Amino acid sequence: MNENRRQILEMLAAGKITADEAERLIAAVETERARPAGEYSGSLGGSNGATVKTRAKYLRVLVEADESMTGMKGQTTVNVRVPMQLLRAGVRLASLIPAQAHQQLDEALNRHGVPLTLSQIKPENLEELIYHLEDLTVDVDSSEGNATKVRVFCE
Amino acid sequence: MTPNFVVLGIDTPGFHWPKLWLPIFLLWVPVILLSPIILLAFVALAIANRTNIWRVVAIFWDILCSLPGTHVRVSAQDARVLVRIL
Repeated sequence: MNENRRQILEMLAAGKITADEAERLIAAVETERARPAGEYSGSLGGSNGATVKTRAKYLRVLVEADESMTGMKGQTTVNVRVPMQLLRAGVRLASLIPAQAHQQLDEALNRHGVPLTLSQIKPENLEELIYHLEDLTVDVDSSEGNATKVRVFCE
Repeated sequence: MTPNFVVLGIDTPGFHWPKLWLPIFLLWVPVILLSPIILLAFVALAIANRTNIWRVVAIFWDILCSLPGTHVRVSAQDARVLVRIL
């Protein structure tokens, strides 16, 4: 029996995860095994921290802001879902930027507090970048009395 | 796969639009009809420009093909805008 599958069944037997979670985890393991080598994946958490990698398809950005933040009547909500594939294609756009413009762009990004070197984003480390992005979750809650929430995550 | 439909929904306090399903796959008709001209334009650009125009086309094709699944919904002041690419 596959080692991951055995671990999942042991967690199920020990009551650490529910049957539904076990089913999802096993399905994720099977997907992982069927995937060609070198393809990266995100993560799926069980109720008690059990983690098995699955592939995230979308980057989600959710923003909820109240009147005091936006100056508009009522709550403002923004819900954006961007396919990861679009991010991959978008990052490839950076390779079209002429070499002489890279330095100027890097300097401008640094000036604005983004320490990013565009010339270092190459197709070979693009997948690694997306891989780490899939583990990204950003939650911002305002604590100054106004209810503003920002969530960035992958699903 | 290239996008086939764009769903556009706009609601304002004074007016409710029904959701518009825009069949953008129909754009293939003029694109196919104009394909000889488009191809010539690309060849001319490839010769005139130092950038590898075929690489640019490949990247923009990738972007086009990865658009399905994009979903943007914004609500503010009783108004709502929805854009979905299918």
